[in-house]
Amino acid sequence: MKWTKRGLLFDPTRHTLPGGCTEFAQSPQALVFDDVVRIYFSTRRRDHDGQYVSHVAFVDVDRNLEHVREIAAETVITPGSLGCFDEHGIFPFNVVRHDANVVGQHDAIYAFTCGWSRRVSVPVETAIGLAVSRDRGRTFQRTGPGPVMAATSREPFLVGDPFVRVRDGRWHMWYIYGVRWMDSPGEPGPARVYKIAYASSVDGIVWERSGEPIISDAIGADECQALPTVFECDGLWHMYFCYRYATDFRANPARAYRLGYAWSRDGHRWIRDDQAGGIDVSPEGWDSEMLCYPHVFWCHDQAYMLYNGNAFGRQGFGVAVLER
Amino acid sequence: MRAFAQAPATLLFDDRVRVYFSTRPEPDAAGQYVSLGGYVDLRRDNLFDVVAVSPHPVMTLGGRGAFDEFGTYPMTVALDGDVIRAYYGGWTRCVSVPFDVAIGCAVSRDDGVTFVKQGDGPVLSADLNEPFVISGPKVRRFNDRWILWYIAGTKWIATGGRAEPVYRIRMATSTDGMRWTRLHTELIPPRLEADECQASPDVTFANGKYHMFFCYRYSLGYRGRERGYRIGYASSTDLTTWVRDDAKAGIDVSDNGWDAEMISYPHVAEIDGRTFMFYLGNQVGRHGFGVAELEGTLA
Repeated sequence: MKWTKRGLLFDPTRHTLPGGCTEFAQSPQALVFDDVVRIYFSTRRRDHDGQYVSHVAFVDVDRNLEHVREIAAETVITPGSLGCFDEHGIFPFNVVRHDANVVGQHDAIYAFTCGWSRRVSVPVETAIGLAVSRDRGRTFQRTGPGPVMAATSREPFLVGDPFVRVRDGRWHMWYIYGVRWMDSPGEPGPARVYKIAYASSVDGIVWERSGEPIISDAIGADECQALPTVFECDGLWHMYFCYRYATDFRANPARAYRLGYAWSRDGHRWIRDDQAGGIDVSPEGWDSEMLCYPHVFWCHDQAYMLYNGNAFGRQGFGVAVLER
Repeated sequence: MRAFAQAPATLLFDDRVRVYFSTRPEPDAAGQYVSLGGYVDLRRDNLFDVVAVSPHPVMTLGGRGAFDEFGTYPMTVALDGDVIRAYYGGWTRCVSVPFDVAIGCAVSRDDGVTFVKQGDGPVLSADLNEPFVISGPKVRRFNDRWILWYIAGTKWIATGGRAEPVYRIRMATSTDGMRWTRLHTELIPPRLEADECQASPDVTFANGKYHMFFCYRYSLGYRGRERGYRIGYASSTDLTTWVRDDAKAGIDVSDNGWDAEMISYPHVAEIDGRTFMFYLGNQVGRHGFGVAELEGTLA
């Protein structure tokens, strides 16, 4: 694979965001319309305790992904209720257009949300929720107050980062789950380790999963793998994701997120080959220290990758084009 | 362990009745407790004769970040061939609300002295319409199916201080004890108030009907006699449709003593033709559990 970077597409500090958010445009995810490409992302606002809460927003860009047209003016999805899995933020937010009849409406737009809630002994727990839009993706409503994918006996915590596609009448989800929390001396709180897994569903609500990692580790057993994005091209399945070391990954660029790559003939058995991924950090600039949260999609027969750079997307997201 | 013997659950042996319960070590510096399972063996022909006490907790707390890091309470047990199967509420601590609970499964191969957890995570946790506090499991085996009665939270009430959950009785079934299909409805309509809390749904079969004893209370101000736990009753012929009739529970708080303020966490067991109810009294079991015997029959 070979990707040509076009540079930063959206810098949140140069725009007015809804809800008083001022920094971060993380995990960009595209929904293609006839006239524009809508890119959802998570931005942040500090709450009354001074802690960040992630909120979903979007920006509409032209179909060549060159110009920003419009930014969401209103709340895309309200915060979760007291004690719910998504009370303290949604990040990321994966959108799926599907003609199925999950909510008694055709051509609805669904969003699989990764909801965050705060814990005492560890900073956070996550689970995956399902929301639906009836206004072309401007606003989303939860299909229920709880998650559709939460911890199980084999996936004990940190179920998140959903990427969902419908193919052959079945819903397919690539996601992550936590395998352990571990000591991280000198850092704020314990470190987590998480891996990529796969689930499928007939209705988008009840999911079958194996509880097994599907991507081999490249930098040891404590490798953290996040945000898988899957697409088909030239008869193969391709997956990009990001991976990092479990500790000292925030300030040390050598241990920070990079993009990983794997391919598959059947969508189930994956061969990891990061060298063939064709994209890495730049020598300087906004994506010179880390690459994370990739999202690949097709528009006008062109595959694009949206991704974040340094500081997990504090400065926004960029776009790269697949050369074929 | 220093105090509390909560949520009794029985298992019959040839010569004894083992009563599992949850107990607590001294609270930590912040005054917070963890909850662990233990048991007491009572002579089968005289339940007031204590034969043995568990030498150590029957299962360990979960690891860091696990759903059961801060407690395993309550616990319910059932024979499954030559192993003993336990389900328990695993407790974690949260920031905006005090806790969350999900249900774990553990198996004993040494006659119930120690239980090994079936995975690091829960077998029943939050789902789309049961968003939190999945707790209070009571497992039974009827008609070759595992049936789990449990409670699910419906809302957290922000009180200005500590948030308080509202929870209701629900049910799930399984063929293997690990993968559960939920009924997704509340079985017992509230009677005290819209936010009535219900717990400990203990079901037994007798005389052609299923009988459920449970406990219920007001959602707030429940630590005293007026609004504290009482034991309720419902019956069913099909396991899913229940008729509530608390007047038939046949047990209430005493005029004075250890169970004068509240009675809760009923567990009904038939032992050699007699029907007993184990239950908790004041301060939900700080002073242990008691036993009552049914006069007449469950009808």
